[in-house]
Amino acid sequence: MNGHGIQLINVGKEFKNPDSYKAALTNINLTIHEGEYIGILGLNQSGKSTLARLLNGLLKPSLGRILVNGMDVDSSEQIREIRQLLGIVFQNPDNQLICPVVEEEIAFGPENLGLSPSEVNKRVSWALEIVGMQDMRYHAPHLLSGGQKQKVALASVLAMEPSYLVLDEPTSMLDPVSRWEILEHLRKINKENHITIILISHNPEDLLDANRLIVLHEGFIYMQGTPREVYADMEKLTAIGLKPPGLYQLIQQLEEEGYGIDDNTSTIPQLVEKICQK
Amino acid sequence: MNEIKLGQYVHGNSLIHLLDPRTKIICCILAVIGILSNHNFWYLLFLLGLILTGIKCSGIPFSSFWRSMRGIRYLLLITFLFQAVLTQGEAVFQLGALSVTQEGLMIGLINLLRLVILFLGSIILLMTTTPMKLSAGLEFLLLPLNKIKIPVQYFTTIISISFRFIPTLVEESITIKDAQRSRGAHFDSPKILTNLKSYLAILIPLLASSLLRAEDLAEAMDSRCYTGNPNQYRMRNLKYKAVDIYLIIFMAVALLVGLVIT
Amino acid sequence: MSKIIDIKDLSYVYLPGSPYEQQALKNINISLNQGELLGLFGGNGSGKSTLAKLLNGLIYPTGGQVTVCGIDTNIKELRHDLWKKVGLVFQYPEQQIFESNVYDEVAYGPRNLGLSESEVKTRVFEALDRVGIFPDSMVNLSPVKLSGGVRRRIAIAGILALEPEVLVLDEPMAGLDPLGQNLMLEIIKARQEKKTQTTIIISHNLKDILALADKIAILERGALVFHGEVQELLSKIDILSQFRLELPDYLQVAYALNARGIKPNNDIKNINEAGLELIRIISGGKGKL
Ligand SMILES: Nc1ncnc2c1ncn2[C@@H]1O[C@H](COP(=O)(O)OP(=O)(O)OP(=O)(O)O)[C@@H](O)[C@H]1O
Ligand SMILES: Nc1ncnc2c1ncn2[C@@H]1O[C@H](COP(=O)(O)OP(=O)(O)OP(=O)(O)O)[C@@H](O)[C@H]1O
Ligand SMILES: [Mg+2]
Ligand SMILES: [Mg+2]
Repeated sequence: MNGHGIQLINVGKEFKNPDSYKAALTNINLTIHEGEYIGILGLNQSGKSTLARLLNGLLKPSLGRILVNGMDVDSSEQIREIRQLLGIVFQNPDNQLICPVVEEEIAFGPENLGLSPSEVNKRVSWALEIVGMQDMRYHAPHLLSGGQKQKVALASVLAMEPSYLVLDEPTSMLDPVSRWEILEHLRKINKENHITIILISHNPEDLLDANRLIVLHEGFIYMQGTPREVYADMEKLTAIGLKPPGLYQLIQQLEEEGYGIDDNTSTIPQLVEKICQK
Repeated sequence: MNEIKLGQYVHGNSLIHLLDPRTKIICCILAVIGILSNHNFWYLLFLLGLILTGIKCSGIPFSSFWRSMRGIRYLLLITFLFQAVLTQGEAVFQLGALSVTQEGLMIGLINLLRLVILFLGSIILLMTTTPMKLSAGLEFLLLPLNKIKIPVQYFTTIISISFRFIPTLVEESITIKDAQRSRGAHFDSPKILTNLKSYLAILIPLLASSLLRAEDLAEAMDSRCYTGNPNQYRMRNLKYKAVDIYLIIFMAVALLVGLVIT
Repeated sequence: MSKIIDIKDLSYVYLPGSPYEQQALKNINISLNQGELLGLFGGNGSGKSTLAKLLNGLIYPTGGQVTVCGIDTNIKELRHDLWKKVGLVFQYPEQQIFESNVYDEVAYGPRNLGLSESEVKTRVFEALDRVGIFPDSMVNLSPVKLSGGVRRRIAIAGILALEPEVLVLDEPMAGLDPLGQNLMLEIIKARQEKKTQTTIIISHNLKDILALADKIAILERGALVFHGEVQELLSKIDILSQFRLELPDYLQVAYALNARGIKPNNDIKNINEAGLELIRIISGGKGKL
């Protein structure tokens, strides 16, 4: 059935500025299958956040069509259904906090979905636990620290249990412990619940779990492939100023010397371990 | 500056917090009617006592109310003075060419009380009820108007969004103030003129950025499946408890007694 | 060397007496010499941003003392002029940017310094240049129309234009692409070379600044759990693992080798050398060298 997944067909997006039109995205053709884990990277202004906002209809494409489970995001009748399916965590948490209490903030989405009070309550507790903010349940979101706000924003979207989860730099302010926990959780819901993850990040280490990386550059899709494939093409990456993570730089260096490293190496200590065993 | 901001919701588990939002709205309306229909000094003092009891029960420190009162002290003072000098009657003492009358003092005091009650009442409503609950309560109370073909949902959407927006506006002004302060603006300089200028300089960016924040807020709400229509779910979730009923009856009786006294 | 920052028994409580009362800092003692670079780490909510605001005089201690550039922030009259000496880049650019175009935003600080408009202009263009923004194409745009990373750059430029003696950066790398991060490192290095400019960087990423920092401080739930030289931190494996602080890649290789009892031939100083070392080990195993 072609109904499932996200399709972008010849999508372009231009913004009108006082003196010019600026293309933020050009000619994007992309199919995202259900259950995929997509990583999106690219320089500042490459169009990543614009792409995210197009997916749930907050922005309208200037050209082309976007389908989520076969529904056109341009159609206003189905937009609510699309937004129920596809949750977005925005880049800046401050502007997405709506309510004066953390608990109410996280309950906002589920309540709009018309869930029963006990279910809402269950989801709030569950989401708070995932981001490790149980202690702050009755606190005021706007009085939290930067990273805590980011966690609340994340929890409030997780609690809606969307089938597609779009995250715009969700870990930028998290401490390393929380960051790993969140990434671990994303990996888990992707594997176990087949939630589709679309993760935007500037930190190449964040994206190692992805099945597919998409590199945006000046509004175009510049590269695409598994992390291993994308990071192997050092020349093409460095040409636009991106850098593979250290692990892949090492693997690359070793491969150039003719030493193959198998695919399931995901940390530097693991790599060293493997080399020492050889 | 390191204190809770005026009118912002403060979480708590007090009796006042747990009251049904409809009860609080109705009580406020009854109190307003009481204030407007009655000018018995003792009755107003009684209402003030009620409000102060409410504040005490809410667990929010008196000091934050006291500080917010200071914010409107000039308004209060002017109201009082105007009434005191402009009312005809038996002169108590002379203030230049103006004579302060006994009747004037009394009316001034009464109007002062009215303002204070009104102010404190609305503040306590805002500080103990989240915008979400407040709008659910309002939506419910206005629902009957739908039957006589008044499109209340537009009205309630506007109201509920503005409720949600008040805290945002307050936050935004703090943000801008901090941003300017950290780069050289003075807000507590000894020169009043400097302060005034600084406050004026907040206004323009505040206006611009509140519009943007409003847009962001709307986007964030849309993204999480908010529809402007009264939320059936949240309304069904409102529950009257025994306290609510008692309180409303009490307030209604108090109002009637007040009306009878006059 | 003179002490530029002296923090004594500092504590800070948000909203005392209210239901939201929160002790954000307790008993903090930190001192920093002129020209040094301090890296400030700690979990979410540990009090880093609070400390940053205290240094800039935006808030002042509820207990103890913060003295910056000889100014005791407890003294109201002195506090007013602290902004000229201590520049603070907020954690989120949205907390900082309020003007309706990029030029005015960056020019806000310099104008308050009382500089002439031509001087202001020079400073604005220079600051934008340093954060990698080409002024002519952008100065008239409204910051809200720019991407997150560009907004971060503008926020940084707005403070650089003040040329502050002490610069406090709250998560400056967040949201920047690799090019922007390199520019940031250059800005920090340039400040270090001057020897008179002091910099404090708040970060979650030890990798970013390990090579540059002179001193490191780590906060946990408002308390200072480590304060010392970089080398000292590297020897405290328990702290590193408790906070999951990630070492730079080349050090990870060196540590992993050490853990296996292999002494690298020479000091590994970058990722390339680390790779060479690994190749040497493999080929050594095969007898090739
Ligand atoms: N509302 C808007 N009006 C005008 N131009 C805009 C608007 N939003 C984005 N743009 C422009 O679109 C381009 C892409 O921006 P976008 O926010 O998608 O970048 P990004 O890849 O998310 O970058 P970053 O890594 O910095 O967040 C930028 O050049 C930006 O200036
Ligand atoms: N304006 C405020 N009012 C009340 N409490 C606050 C306020 N700002 C921060 N806090 C609380 O103070 C503590 C320290 O916050 P701070 O912002 O300093 O943390 P941080 O170390 O910067 O964290 P992060 O890494 O998440 O940015 C947190 O528990 C936070 O909830
Ligand atoms: Mg972005
Ligand atoms: Mg912070």
